Order: sequence, then structure tokens, then C-alpha cells
Amino acid sequence: MSGATWLSYSLQDFVMFGPEVFLRLFARINQDLWPWLLLWPLAGLVLPWFGRQAAELPRRLAMALAGLAWIGCGYLFLVRYYGPVNWPATRFGWAFVVQGLFLLILKGRALPGPMAWPVAVSWWLAVLLLPWLSVLEMPDLWAIALFGLAPGVTVAATVLLFAGQPSPLRWLLLMLPLVWSLFSAATYWALGTFWLMGFPVATLVLLVVALRFNPSPAQNPGSQSVHRGPGRQSP
Amino acid sequence: MLELSRRRFLIGVGLSGLAVASPRLMAAGSSAGEQTFHSRPIPSTGESVPAIGMGTWITFNVGGDQYLIDERTRVLETFLERNGTVIDCSPMYGSAADVIGAGLDKLGAHDRIFAATKIWTSDGSETREQAATSERRWGIDRFDLLQVHNLLAWQEHLVTLKEMKAEGRVRYLGITTSHGRRHRELARIMETEPLDFVQLTYNVLDREAEERLLPLARERGIAVIVNRPFQGGSLFRRFQSEPLPSWAPEAGVGNWAEFFLKFIISHPAVTCAIPATTRVEHMQENMGAMYGQLPDTSQRRMMADYVRQL
Ligand SMILES: NC(=O)c1ccc[n+]([C@@H]2O[C@H](COP(=O)([O-])OP(=O)(O)OC[C@H]3O[C@@H](n4cnc5c(N)ncnc54)[C@H](OP(=O)(O)O)[C@@H]3O)[C@@H](O)[C@H]2O)c1
Repeated sequence: MSGATWLSYSLQDFVMFGPEVFLRLFARINQDLWPWLLLWPLAGLVLPWFGRQAAELPRRLAMALAGLAWIGCGYLFLVRYYGPVNWPATRFGWAFVVQGLFLLILKGRALPGPMAWPVAVSWWLAVLLLPWLSVLEMPDLWAIALFGLAPGVTVAATVLLFAGQPSPLRWLLLMLPLVWSLFSAATYWALGTFWLMGFPVATLVLLVVALRFNPSPAQNPGSQSVHRGPGRQSP
Repeated sequence: MLELSRRRFLIGVGLSGLAVASPRLMAAGSSAGEQTFHSRPIPSTGESVPAIGMGTWITFNVGGDQYLIDERTRVLETFLERNGTVIDCSPMYGSAADVIGAGLDKLGAHDRIFAATKIWTSDGSETREQAATSERRWGIDRFDLLQVHNLLAWQEHLVTLKEMKAEGRVRYLGITTSHGRRHRELARIMETEPLDFVQLTYNVLDREAEERLLPLARERGIAVIVNRPFQGGSLFRRFQSEPLPSWAPEAGVGNWAEFFLKFIISHPAVTCAIPATTRVEHMQENMGAMYGQLPDTSQRRMMADYVRQL
């Protein structure tokens, strides 16, 4: 295709579905999985508690829960629900599943230390506040974007974990969240669903928070911040 | 050979004889008791099709959402009730083909439509396979029209489409473009290939096709399907809050949808326009453009001038 032809395309030309179809995906998946869907946000809420423990086993569990969340939203939301209306979503979905499996394989070994307080609090804020963005956009309570099902919330929260990993693993894990954020921001812009822009924006903000408060030991050998906080004092 | 539906037979036989140069005179009656509506002959056979069809890009891609499938089925039902037949789709449009299929099933309307889809693959050997997949998704035995989507691998696909037409596997073949892209190349293809249809973008603002493609289509006897008649909806966003010109009723125009659509279908080279919508009320408005008076040449000029100065 010539350069002139490419220039004649706008962002809108690449979006093949309408905003109503997209927003109803949240409501449909929630209605279809009710009441079992409550397990996902519950897992999201307890995860930082596990992540803050000094013992390795709970921290392994935290990583495993994050892995399950990625598999859940990759396969259920992206492949099963979003994929039929948007080709790239299926590919993203399988990539999410692979990333989730990778997290399961990593288990707790890669979580270098207990989660810092600001990171844990940011996590809770993300899991509790971000879900309402899709309700604001729809508006319908069923459209709530739950951790472990909705990619926006899942990605935004879990970058907090990924940013705490030593390089190069950190960047390997952050690659898909960043590409997803770019892709979803472009989609929300084209759809005109501006509340949903909160997901990619929150992802970037949380990434900065995580890098500030949870620097990887490999990059900051002298840093104490990973080991700060009460979690460090638990047995 | 597939049996012609009663409707298609009535439209085809009854109207082909009425195809004359002036769009005003091309309004023709359907079966008794129904209002008169505008139809156009397909130059290569003389068979007539209603001048307003239905597009499905974005609007019919609703995935497995049963609530929205039912809503789109109501849009389709309204389209058929208002004498629409031409439905345009593409394998590129996600789940749209399945949603059309579900709607046709529910309404039992497979034999009431003029089914048009596209071949959209860069693999020139996949023409038949893709057509067969689309047939399955629509729930039909064969398409009335298969079009090469956006000139993609057109040389290879056209060879196969010509074979399929000769075998009776498809009734008409064509090629599409949109957004004013690759008009020069399309003109070359129209000059050399035996096309029944072309599909291109033409509306009150995007009028490049008037220069070469529309006159060429008339000269070569090629039917023209017009996509993006509302510029993807942006014509409404730009002009809907403005008043219609005072002379609109004289041109047969009662609302903006009719303004945009009647401008298009009153061009003598245009066979049919294919607006897309998700809403029953909009479908009713759009199908309204198929009825009543059409603007003449000077009124068409006034329409283009009017939107330009808004
Ligand atoms: N290369 C190609 O082959 C190609 C390219 C582009 C398009 N096409 C075909 O052409 C068809 C039409 O083009 P398009 O869908 O891009 O754009 P379009 O028909 O120009 O515009 C569709 C938009 O107009 C709005 N609309 C429709 N009727 C309306 C009314 N009466 N009042 C207010 N708004 C109204 C619809 O919104 P609502 O849902 O709210 O009514 C929708 O957003 C496509 O669906 C597709 O089948 C083919």
C-alpha cells in the first residue's frame, strides 16, 4: 500500500465494533459467570496480603494468583468474549494466557521480597476503584470491570508486581502490559469511551509508583525499599 | 440454478423494462398495495434491485451478544419490510456474517435478499473456500454478488470469480474500494475486466467518483454500489443540527437521511447506496429515501452547494 493510501486511514477505520458492543462485554461476562465471578476480585483483594508476607510460600501464592488472573482475563474476556468482535483481541488473549502460565511457572521465586506498603495500597486502590470506570461509561452495575476478568484492571494492578522484579525479567513481564495499554488506549479513543482511558492511564501511573517504591534489587543494590514495611517483620 | 424468489422475480421482470435515463422516472411499483419505490437495473442483466441496500460494517458485528443479535434482527426486519433486498458484508466484518445469518434464519428471509459479500484474503487461491465459508455463515446456497474487497489480490480472485460465475456458483462479480482510495487503479480494472459491479465511496462531500469512475461505470455498463453514504456517520454529526434548505421538500427531501441518500441515488450511474445502522428508527428514515420524488440535476447541484456553505 502506498504512503498516501496509509495516510487516508484514521484510527476509527481500524475499530470494527461499536462502543455499546464493547461495554456490553463486561456486563455479559459478569452475568454469565455470576456468582462465581466474585472469586476473582476476592483473589485480587487478598493478593497483596500474601505478597506482603516475608515467608516465601504466600508470596508464591501471590504470583500464582496474578498468573491465574492473567489466564482468566486472557481466555475468558479476550478470547471468548472480545475476540469474536475484534480479531487482535484473540491474539492478545492467547498472549495473556502465555504470560499467566509464565507467572505460574515463576511462582514465588521471582518475587524478590515482600510488597512495600505504598505498592500494596496502590494495588487495593486499583482493584477497588478502577472497576467503576466501565460502570461510569455504560452506566450499568453489571458492567463492572472486575480484577481477573477485565484486562484493564488486571493489567493496571499487576504492573505493580512486575515492576518489582529484577531486570531483565521486569521488562520481559512489562512488555505485554505496555503494548496492551497502547492498544487499548487507541481503541477507547476511537470508540469515544473516554472514561475507559482511565485503565491505560492508571497502568502508567501505577508503573511509576511501583518503580519508585519497589525498585528491583538488581538495579538498586543498596536500596532498602523492597525490604521496608511491616511485612519484613513478620516471621 | 437457484429459483428466483417471487419478490426478486416481480422486481426483476416488472421493473427492468422501466429503466430509463432520468432517475425521476425510474421510480417503479412493487407488488400491489405497497408504495412505489426506486429501483435500478443491473446493467449486465437488466435485473432490478432497490436503490437503498444495507451495509453491515461495525453495525452487525455484535459477536455472541443475543440481546444485540435480536436488536439487529429487528433492524433487518424493518429493512425487508420497507422492500430492501441488497445486503453487503465481508469476512473482514468480524461476526457480522453470523449475525446476518441468525437474522435471516429467524425471519425466514433467505430467499428475499440480494446477498452480497466480499473476498478478503491476500491468498489468491482461497477464493472458493472463503466464499463457501461465507455461504455457510449466511445460511445460503450461493451469493448473488461476490466482490474483491479493496482490490486485495484482485487479479487472482477475479480469475476464480469468473469461473464461479460461469459455473453458476455466483450470479455477479465485482470489486470494491472506499474512502476514495486507488481510484486510478480501479478505473483501469473497470476498463479491462468484465465486471458486473463496482463498490466505491460517494456522498455529498466525497464526490471524486463523479469525475472518472461514475461516468466510466455508465459507459462500461457496470452497476455501482455506494458505500459510506453518510461518511461513516460524520455527515450527521456535522450537519444534523443545521436546518434543511427551504427548497428541500421540492427535491423530495424530508430529513437529513433523505437529503444524503437521495443525493446519491439520483446520480444516473448509481445502482444502490448501502447505509449501515444499528437502529430501527434510522433504518426507517434511510429506507424513506427509496420513496417519493428524487432531486433533478439542478437540485443536486444546490444540495452540494448547500452543505459546502454550512
Ligand atoms: N471497502 C469496502 O468495501 C467498504 C468500505 C466501507 C464501507 N463499506 C460498506 O458500506 C457500508 C456503509 O458504510 P459505513 O457503514 O462505513 O458508513 P455509513 O453508512 O456512511 O454510516 C454509518 C453510520 O451512520 C449512522 N446512521 C445511519 N443512519 C442514520 C440516520 N438515519 N440518522 C443518524 N445516523 C445514522 C449510523 O449510526 P446508527 O447506528 O446510530 O444509526 C452509523 O454510525 C458498510 O457498512 C459496508 O457494508 C464497504
